[in-house]
Amino acid sequence: MSDPPDEPPAAEPTPTADDSAPDDAAASADGDPSDQPSVAAAAGIDEAVLDTPRELASTVRLQWILRSTIGAAVIGALATAIAYGVGVATSFLDGSIRTAATVGGAVFVLFVLIGVVRAVLLYRSWMYVVRADSLFLSRGVLTRVQTAVPYVRVQHIDTRRSPLERLLGLSTLVVYTAGSRGADVTVPGLTPDRAATLQRRLERLTTESEGADAV
Amino acid sequence: MTDAESTAAETPLTDRPFRLHPLSVPYRVVEQGLGVVVFVLFVGAPAFGAVEGVLGAAGAVALAGLIAAVVVGYGVAYYRRFEYELTADTFDIRSGVFARRDREIPLHRIQNVDISQNIVQRVLDIAAVRLETAGASGAEAHLKFVGKDRAGALQREISRLSRAEDGEPAADAATETLFEISDRELGVLALVSADIQLVSILFVVGSVVLPALGSLTESEWFFALDQGLGGLFGPLATLAGIVALGLAYGAINATLYYGFTLSRAPGELRYKRGLIQRYSGTIPLSKVQSLTVTENVLARALGYASLEIETAGQSGGEGSQGGSQSAVPVAERDRVIELANSIEQVGDVQFERPPKRARQRYAVRYAGALGVLAGLVFLLQTAIGGSLYWWAPLVALPLVPLAAHIQWKHRGYYVGEDHVVTRNGFWVQRLKVVPYYRVQTVLSSETVFQRRRRLGTVTIDTAGARSLVGDDAKAVDVDAETTERLREQVADSLYESLWREANSGNRP
Repeated sequence: MSDPPDEPPAAEPTPTADDSAPDDAAASADGDPSDQPSVAAAAGIDEAVLDTPRELASTVRLQWILRSTIGAAVIGALATAIAYGVGVATSFLDGSIRTAATVGGAVFVLFVLIGVVRAVLLYRSWMYVVRADSLFLSRGVLTRVQTAVPYVRVQHIDTRRSPLERLLGLSTLVVYTAGSRGADVTVPGLTPDRAATLQRRLERLTTESEGADAV
Repeated sequence: MTDAESTAAETPLTDRPFRLHPLSVPYRVVEQGLGVVVFVLFVGAPAFGAVEGVLGAAGAVALAGLIAAVVVGYGVAYYRRFEYELTADTFDIRSGVFARRDREIPLHRIQNVDISQNIVQRVLDIAAVRLETAGASGAEAHLKFVGKDRAGALQREISRLSRAEDGEPAADAATETLFEISDRELGVLALVSADIQLVSILFVVGSVVLPALGSLTESEWFFALDQGLGGLFGPLATLAGIVALGLAYGAINATLYYGFTLSRAPGELRYKRGLIQRYSGTIPLSKVQSLTVTENVLARALGYASLEIETAGQSGGEGSQGGSQSAVPVAERDRVIELANSIEQVGDVQFERPPKRARQRYAVRYAGALGVLAGLVFLLQTAIGGSLYWWAPLVALPLVPLAAHIQWKHRGYYVGEDHVVTRNGFWVQRLKVVPYYRVQTVLSSETVFQRRRRLGTVTIDTAGARSLVGDDAKAVDVDAETTERLREQVADSLYESLWREANSGNRP
């Protein structure tokens, strides 16, 4: 909650009962809720930082492509095995290893292509914004998802790096809320520096927004 | 450290450690002993024989006696080493025979206090008490078992103390009965809850039985009457079985909610229910995350609805029951709405429907589903070489526009002063009320198909237990601009309502 620091919230009389506003704090409490300073303003976050849409680091495409290639290899191997099995059992295919490998290879190439296209499009669709009162994420290729996470709801913030991410010099930020979709608030493809800055910034905003009730 | 149950009401409950009820020792021993007996029946007898062969009869009996002694000894030790204590602001439990555990639960974090008694426990006058917080998936504390009076006293005392801590008047004011289930409503509950099960099972069984009937009519041996009748009788018996099962389920559900009363105490709701197994519990109003009013087709036709009150722990009931955890299982719609309004003052709800073009989406979806179904049956037909009525699903095509319209008609959202309300579903209509100050995150999503028609879905996530299974409040297929506006508005309203709350000192 964004009360001015010198104002004890619980002791504050209701706006109607408080006729004479003795100081600025009470005056702001008297006004419309929308006049309240934003969480970012209260946390002293630079205006220039706010509301700037940010992209992910471009190497994240490589991370996604590598990951999907591993998946494609597994699917390709499976396809090879199935094609071989079908070839031996029925007359659809001629049952040679060569044919089976061709089928598997085709499936592999197809999935790699899908993975590359998806990675490029997903990278283009990704955007996150540190706004005055909430963190905003927008991403998605087929289904576009946009999430607003009010700072007051943030429980804790993690950064994590998988082996692949460490190899590529990337980091992932995960924001947890008490809601069920907490794990959905994940920002991949950040440079470690940027992840650390974002984590610090969000922690400051979260602390500033506190004072409201917990679950 | 006596456990004089009769004087529990007079002796102060705070700042003094207590033990469980002494009768919990034999009860737990027998409960665990039953497991041992089952084990003995299947594994023990041959094992006993083998041991007898080695040690002789006396040795085997001694071993059996030893096992029994261990079970009893463990029961006694568990009892002796289990202590609970209620202090001014925490509930402490010290337990464990081998691994000791000290646990302190802050009172203001407790979501529900539930008491349950099965029939044996009722005879012994003991009860199980569960304390739930938002953290753990199960109960944070499970007292097995304390005396019935002590359980009730604990429940009252915990809610009194946690209210006192919140700065609210700690006076134990009289409770006011909000709702009592009538016999008629109990009957409706049996019928309506049977219906849910029936519809779902019927669909599954129907999809298996109907093709079988289809192939039956085609095949020559249909005319061999005995076999044909047998083939027909089978499905009929299955159907009768399903109906019986459904009714039995309904009857069981009715006994679970027998004598259901919901009453309002300061700062919380209390419920009591059950014919054979008795439950009672508290739902603190300050922990309510959302309200859901549910009506299935049958209940709606009869003018009945049910209400679920969601807290961050469990949804106002015991999790192990599995079935619906309704705050009010079934009641006349007006009463349910009135009750919901007394918990969250939503006022008059004017639903905003999705734009009419959403109906095209549903029509395409249903037509597509019918097409796919027909295609699958056709494939099956070519694969097995028989002739099924593969075009049969297409007969339903004329109904598609109607179904699309009905689907559209039952959707809606409403943005109120302090709440956002969403409504979805024709077969089971769910109306969800979420106070702004309970909103966790807001997300909007647009699938490819939605984007084609400039539509989107706004999901409002709360910390409620039900949202863990994806049962969030959703405004589905609203206009793309409304999606943006709604998402921002709900997120902003969270701050406004938190601000108002902090400044007025009480909840909106």
